[in-house]
Amino acid sequence: MGSRFAPCDGMKAVHTAVIAGIVVAVLLPAIPLVIWSLSGGWWFPRLLPEQWSLRSWRYLASPASRVAEATRNSVIIALVTTAVSVPLGVPAGRALGLYRFRGKRFAEALVFAPLIVPSLAVIMGVQVVLIRAGISATLIGVVVAHLLPALPYMVMVMRAVFSAYDPEYEQQARSLGATRWETLLHVTAPAILPGLVTGALFVFLISWSQYALTLLVGGGRVMTLPVLLFAFVTAGDHAMTGAVSLLFLAPALLVLGVSARMLGGRPAGVSGLEGV
Amino acid sequence: MKSITRRAVPMVLCTVLAIAISTSLPAAGSRAPADDFARRFPDLGWEEIVSEARGQRVFFTMWGGSEPINRFVSEFVADRVRDRYGVELVMVPVTDASVFVNAVLGERLAGRISGGSVDLMWINGENFRTMRQADLLFGPYSHRLPNMRYVNTDDPAVRFDFGFPVDGFESPYGSAQFVLIYDAARVAQPPRTMGSLLDWIRANPGRFTYPAVPDFTGSVFLRHLFYHVADDPEELLGPFDPVVFDRLAPRVWETLRDIAPYLWRQGRTYPETSTAMQDLFANGEIWFDMNYNPAHAANMVEQGRYPRTTRTMVFEDGTIGANHFVAIPFNASAKAGALVVANALLDPEVQLEKSRPAVWGDFPAIDVTRLDPEMRARFAEVVRHPSSLPPEELFAVRLSELQADWLEAIEAGWVEYVLQR
Repeated sequence: MGSRFAPCDGMKAVHTAVIAGIVVAVLLPAIPLVIWSLSGGWWFPRLLPEQWSLRSWRYLASPASRVAEATRNSVIIALVTTAVSVPLGVPAGRALGLYRFRGKRFAEALVFAPLIVPSLAVIMGVQVVLIRAGISATLIGVVVAHLLPALPYMVMVMRAVFSAYDPEYEQQARSLGATRWETLLHVTAPAILPGLVTGALFVFLISWSQYALTLLVGGGRVMTLPVLLFAFVTAGDHAMTGAVSLLFLAPALLVLGVSARMLGGRPAGVSGLEGV
Repeated sequence: MKSITRRAVPMVLCTVLAIAISTSLPAAGSRAPADDFARRFPDLGWEEIVSEARGQRVFFTMWGGSEPINRFVSEFVADRVRDRYGVELVMVPVTDASVFVNAVLGERLAGRISGGSVDLMWINGENFRTMRQADLLFGPYSHRLPNMRYVNTDDPAVRFDFGFPVDGFESPYGSAQFVLIYDAARVAQPPRTMGSLLDWIRANPGRFTYPAVPDFTGSVFLRHLFYHVADDPEELLGPFDPVVFDRLAPRVWETLRDIAPYLWRQGRTYPETSTAMQDLFANGEIWFDMNYNPAHAANMVEQGRYPRTTRTMVFEDGTIGANHFVAIPFNASAKAGALVVANALLDPEVQLEKSRPAVWGDFPAIDVTRLDPEMRARFAEVVRHPSSLPPEELFAVRLSELQADWLEAIEAGWVEYVLQR
C-alpha cells in the first residue's frame, strides 16, 4: 500500500524533514545509552566518560550471558502471542464495536479489566492455574500468561476500527456472489488491516517487555531478554544497563519500523482510526 | 456472542483463582510434603547422591545484578560441576530473591510437591525465615555435605541466620560484613568510630547520608547506632526485648534527628536505595558510601564506577557481619544435583576463586585454618585489592547480626520518629 497521490517537490521536502525529525526523536535517547554501555569510568561533571570499556558488550557476547537463547525465546513468545491475539481479539472487537446487545457494558468491563487491575495482583493466581493446567515452565504457558495483559489492547483497537466500519460492504460483496471466505479475504481483511497492524504492534511490545509474569510462569526455565537482563538494570550498573537497553530496544524498533510502513494507506470501508 | 465469552475466560479464571488460593492455603505449622528423594535421603550415602546427580540440571536462582558474580557462577562453578559430577548448572538471575520465595509458595498452593522450578536458591535473613516458617525448604541437609568439614559449625554466624536457627536447612556460601567506603582523595582522615563519624558529619554538612529503610543497607546502618548507644552490646542479642528497645530507641532517634540538618539535603530526604546512594557517591555529592559486601568498593573500582583512590574502612568499635547461604526448596526437581552443587560451593578451590578481587572478592564461608598448609598458603597469597580490607581486619571487629524482630521494630521506629519529624 503506497500513498494514493504523488507528492509535488515542496511536499516531498516537508515529508523528508518530518521523517528525519521522527527518526532523530526516536534515536536521540539511544545515544546516551551507547555512551553508557561503553563507559569504563564516568563521573560528574564530565560530559564524556574518562575511560572507555567493552566490559558490558563482552559479557553480553559471552555464552555465559545466554543472550542468544533469551532473544530467540523473546521473539518466539512475542510473535506467537501476537498471532494468537488476532483470532481472539478481532471477533471480540467486532462484537463490541458493531453491535448492541444486553450486558455489553459488563462484557466490556470484563474484557478491559486487565488494563486496570495490576497484573501483580493476579500473578500468583495465574501461576497456580497454569501449574494445575500443566503448562507452567513452558513456552505455551508463558504465551497464555502474556495474553492477559496484551489481549485487551488488541480488542480495544479492533473495537475502534469496527465502530467506524460499514458492514454493508460485506453485504454488497455477498449479493454480488462472493462466498463468506472471499468476503472476509477481499473486503473485511483489507478494511481492518491498518487497525490490525496497530493492535498487533501493541500486543507484540507488551509481550516483549513482560518481566514478572514470565519469571513466575516460566519458573526460570523459559529465559527471555527481560528475565535475563532486568536484574542488571535494578542493580544500577550503568554500563550493563546501557548495553542491555540497546539490545532490548533494537527488535522493538524494527517491529515499529515495519508496521509503520504497513500503515501507509487507508482503504475503503473504514473512515478512520479516531478513538483508537 | 461466543467471542465475548471466550474473552471473558482469563478474567473469570483470575477470580476463580483468588478464591482457590484463599481456600487452599496450607494450615500453619504443617510439614513440607516429602517427595521420593526426601524419603530416601536419610539412607543414601554421599556416593549414591553423587551418582544420582549425574545428568541432572540444577536451576540456581540468585540475585543477578552483578556481572562478575554471574560470571563466577555460570562459568567457573558451572564448568567445575559439569566436568567433575556431570551436573548442568543453570543460573536464573532475579532482581530479588523474594520473587522466588513467592514462586515456591505458589507451587505449594498449586499442589506441586515435586518437579518444582527452583533447585537451589541464594538466600539469607528474612527470606530464609519466611521459607522455613512456611515449610518450603528441603532438609535438614547441610550435615550431609562432605565439605562442611571445612566450616566452623560452632560459629554463631553459621548456626544462626539473622538470629533464626539454621538447623541444617541451608548451607553456607560466603561471608559478608558491613563496611564504609570513602574516597581518600576527599577524606584524608576518616573517622574510626561511630562516635567520631557523628562528629565528622556535623563538621562536613551535606556530605553524608544513608538509604531510607526498608532498604537493606540503610537498615543495617541503623542497627550500628543501636550498638553505639547500647550500654552492653550483649543486650541486643537474642530475641526481641521491648524493655531494652524502649530504653535504647529514643537515644538513637535523638541522635539521628540531631545530625539530620547536617546530612545531604539537610536530611529532608534520603536516598531511596543503596543503588541511588552509589550514584551520589560516584558523583562526589556525598563522601561516604556503605555496603554489606566488603568487596563492594573493589568491584565498583574495577567496573570503573568509583575512582581508584576509593578505600574501605570498618569502625574500631566493630561492624555487623553475617553469612549468606544456599537452600533447596522442598519440591526441587534435582535435589541430588542441588546437594552436589551446594557441596561444590564449599570446596576450598571454589571458595578461593570466589575470594579473588577480580572474580568477586567475597569472603570464604569456610574456616581457612582447617585447610592443609598448602591450601592455606594459597588463600594467604590472594592479592588484596587496594580498595578493600584484609579479612583478618574485618573479622577482628565483627559484630553479630540482630534477630529479624529487632529489624522490624527499628525500621518502623525510624519511619515514625526520624523520617516524619
